[in-house]
Amino acid sequence: MKLAHHEAAEHTGLPSKSLGWLLASFAVLIVPQWDRLPWWLLGACAVLAGWRWLAQTGRLRSPGKWLRSGVMLGMVVIYILTVDGRFTVETAASFFVLSVGLKWLETRSIRDFYVLFFILVYLATVNFLFHQDILWSLVTLSGVALLLVGLQSVNAPDLPPAFRSGWRRLGLTLLKVLPVVALLFVFFPRMAPLWSVPMVSGEARTGLSDTMTPGDISSLARSDETAFRATFGGAMPPHAERYWRGLILDRLDGETWRQGWGQSFRRPGKVAVDGGVGPLQPDEYDVLLEPTDQDWAFALDGSAAVSDNVVPVDNNLFRFRRPADTTVRYRMALVGDLPQQEGGGLSAQEQQRYLQLPVSGNPRARELAESLREQAGRPADVVNAIRARFHQQPYRYTLRPPAMPDNGVDALLFEYREGFCAHYAGAAAFLLRAAGVPARIVAGYQGGEPGAGGEYLIVRQYDAHAWVEVWLPGHGWSRFDPTAAIAPERIESGLREAMREEGSFLEGNWASPRRYGDMAALQWVSLQMDRLNYQWQRWVVGYQGQSQMNLMSRLPGNPGLQELGYMTAGILAIGLLVAGIRLRPAIERKDPYRRILERWYRLCQRESIPVRNGETPAQLARRIARCRPDAAASASAFAGTINRYYYGGRTGPADYARLRRLLGTMKKQMANGRKTPTPERYARE
Amino acid sequence: MGQFFRRRWRKWINQRIPRSDHRVLSQKNIFIVPTGAGLVFLVLLLVMLMTGINYQNSLIYLLTFLLGTLFVAAMHQTHGNLAGLELTVVAAGAGFPASTVPMTIRAQAGPRGTASLRIAFQDQVVEQHVEPGQSVDFRLPLQARRRGYLLPGRIRVETRFPFGLLKAWSWIRPVTAAVVYPRPIEGQAQGSTVAGGNAEEQQRTPQGNDHADLRPWREGDLSQRVLWKRFVRSGDLVVADWEGEQGDPQWLDYDAYPGADREMRLSFLARSVLDRASAQVPFGLRLPGDVIEPDQGPLHVERCLKALGVFGEVRPRSDEPLAHGNRAGTDPSGEAAV
Repeated sequence: MKLAHHEAAEHTGLPSKSLGWLLASFAVLIVPQWDRLPWWLLGACAVLAGWRWLAQTGRLRSPGKWLRSGVMLGMVVIYILTVDGRFTVETAASFFVLSVGLKWLETRSIRDFYVLFFILVYLATVNFLFHQDILWSLVTLSGVALLLVGLQSVNAPDLPPAFRSGWRRLGLTLLKVLPVVALLFVFFPRMAPLWSVPMVSGEARTGLSDTMTPGDISSLARSDETAFRATFGGAMPPHAERYWRGLILDRLDGETWRQGWGQSFRRPGKVAVDGGVGPLQPDEYDVLLEPTDQDWAFALDGSAAVSDNVVPVDNNLFRFRRPADTTVRYRMALVGDLPQQEGGGLSAQEQQRYLQLPVSGNPRARELAESLREQAGRPADVVNAIRARFHQQPYRYTLRPPAMPDNGVDALLFEYREGFCAHYAGAAAFLLRAAGVPARIVAGYQGGEPGAGGEYLIVRQYDAHAWVEVWLPGHGWSRFDPTAAIAPERIESGLREAMREEGSFLEGNWASPRRYGDMAALQWVSLQMDRLNYQWQRWVVGYQGQSQMNLMSRLPGNPGLQELGYMTAGILAIGLLVAGIRLRPAIERKDPYRRILERWYRLCQRESIPVRNGETPAQLARRIARCRPDAAASASAFAGTINRYYYGGRTGPADYARLRRLLGTMKKQMANGRKTPTPERYARE
Repeated sequence: MGQFFRRRWRKWINQRIPRSDHRVLSQKNIFIVPTGAGLVFLVLLLVMLMTGINYQNSLIYLLTFLLGTLFVAAMHQTHGNLAGLELTVVAAGAGFPASTVPMTIRAQAGPRGTASLRIAFQDQVVEQHVEPGQSVDFRLPLQARRRGYLLPGRIRVETRFPFGLLKAWSWIRPVTAAVVYPRPIEGQAQGSTVAGGNAEEQQRTPQGNDHADLRPWREGDLSQRVLWKRFVRSGDLVVADWEGEQGDPQWLDYDAYPGADREMRLSFLARSVLDRASAQVPFGLRLPGDVIEPDQGPLHVERCLKALGVFGEVRPRSDEPLAHGNRAGTDPSGEAAV
């Protein structure tokens, strides 16, 4: 016999086992955060947690008050210094983790355990904001499972083996609740966000940037991360047609192309990840964009927005209402070439904007442009001349371009003749502008690879591409891709084919399965994984307002949000009810004789012949016989049958039926008895 | 106002949980509410749901629903952990004031057993696992303050297993009272009445027994045992240890302490009983209205001490009817069960 551990633990500390689970869960839950936490913080957390553990096992003394305060102060100072006044998601996450790390030194009682439990559950929640693919979700969920096991061990340390272990209990419980969870997930009304929640990230994500200095996009070419996936309602357009426009760079600033003026600031709206309702029409396609922290939506040439979360802006581009800080699904329709300011021509202001060039630099290129303008009369001829030059002269497409720091266009065109799409696009735009043809750079993606089964398209970071659009009078903005003239295989079948000879595809990215394109098994596994993840993202992660409405519209009655609310309440009520039935004592459920006996007792109670303590059925029957002589025979028979059931003799279903019949008779007889004058003897009682 | 509700609540509980030494915990008498941690957990779930709504994050919804349904499942587990448990007050215990009186409560496990069962009364808590098919005796130390019957009010039977987010509890309200003995106080018995009821008996006793062991006097020997005649003769203080002391019962008498009040007398007697017990001499106890024949042994001692403890005390009667099926109860309606 021991004192309650709850009280004892306040003084002696946590059970080691529970602390172990808690530490393990912390270690697991912090993994998805590793790329946004500073290294010193991860190290400090490891040291503090390790310290706590050693103190638990007695190999190290617990830090005293002064040491604790010192450590706390030191960490907070380092944090403040590194944060430097910026408030981003990363600094918030760091602060969160910092507080958990410091809490380890203060974890002594059961109460502290609960505090950490709550913080870690919320850390799991935060993890889901950043990582939603299936593997990271499993990591986070297993962290939560560790927490729940730890919680059991804190409440029942040294549980004897006769009870189920924490894991088994948790597993069985999860199995039982899973159907309810699934129902809730499907039917819980997905409300619109209540308020706008900014998620400012200070960390640059892999992805397109809004500036282009030749060489930039080639660093993207080393990443095989998924940029987005697209499903087409109709046939997938051929590779060479898959130009995903993202943003327009029309201001040349030295060697760097930037987004032009007039990038209006928009207040970020509420989170909207809804990507359209109903099956895809043949001309529609659906894009699932990985988070970019930017508001650019990528769309094929000649698209129109279908879902609400994208808005068309100038230059046939599309923007999200809110930066894509989480995975976003959106839907577009291919409507063919839009009438692009046809006939109108460019305004003077636009002319100026699309002909802008730095005052000086690249003299040879300017010279060449001048001569091109003189030779070719029309802008289209200038374009053709440039294309022909790229095609005929020995320009090479490479992922290992030499450095061209000064007068980069000159160096590319006349000296090295080696470069990447950004180099050629930049050079072409420069030439065009110098020749008086309005031109701009388009940054986006080109191509993409079919996923497993060819059901959808995977566009990866290495598909990033830059090309040129020129203004041709009478045609409007037309695409001109110099890369197509130099390395047509890049446009027709992708970067892998283009780099086959050079062997520089995904150079230095040894771990990427994409690198080993010839190993069929590896490709297959990787694509199947991707498919699983894609389905997960579309159907589980992407299950939000409109998808829910879509699913619900197939149900009879077409329930709306309000009906869904009622349904959720119903699910909860039924869930509780089912559980409630389970709660009823086993005896009452199993033994019908016991039940009918209880009914008899209740009847007697109603007839003011309350059953006494320890009274046997036979005694009760005799009392009934005295109080209500009418019912004497049936009561006696009832008691006899009950006795026969409980104390020997054979019984069968007939007996049970007899009991029911007798009970009914007795009820009538007793009611009759009440009407007749009560014997005085009973009244006295 | 609060007083009123508290009284109503107590009355309701007492109706729900009538006094009984035996109780099977079931849906009818188990209460369950979230603990403080459970309430914080519910608030956390709400915050998580808000996060999920604002970020339109399905996985956060999923986690929230998962933890929410686990909370409901925990409710059943915590309840089920207690349901089916059979509690019996095996021994009410007895002891001296200003110490603890152990009340032994036997917990017979239900089909699923009960993990982390805590039995608590006032500030005393005992906790243990009751494995399926086993029974465990909990010895709950009750604070004994004054002599007499000690009938604890509601003894709380609680469990927070498995997550500590909910507590399920019930009470057992024993019928059998523990007994608190009088505080033993050294007292001097007056006259000869301590040794016997009357003079002849005292005279007869030493003579009627020939097989006396003679030994020198030592500290603590009763003066009645000293052979004064021999002392007069020889000047030695010699004490007779009578062989076969059954033949020489000594009587402890309530009337031997004239002038002392009742509690003092009982305390003196308690001391004497303990002295006799440690000396292993047979003795009898005479209380007004109660005579315990001479005997010896621990059971006898306990019987005497109990008699002293409850002397003049009224056995506590519960003010409400006893539970159905409790034969210890009296039937107020008067008609004898045949």
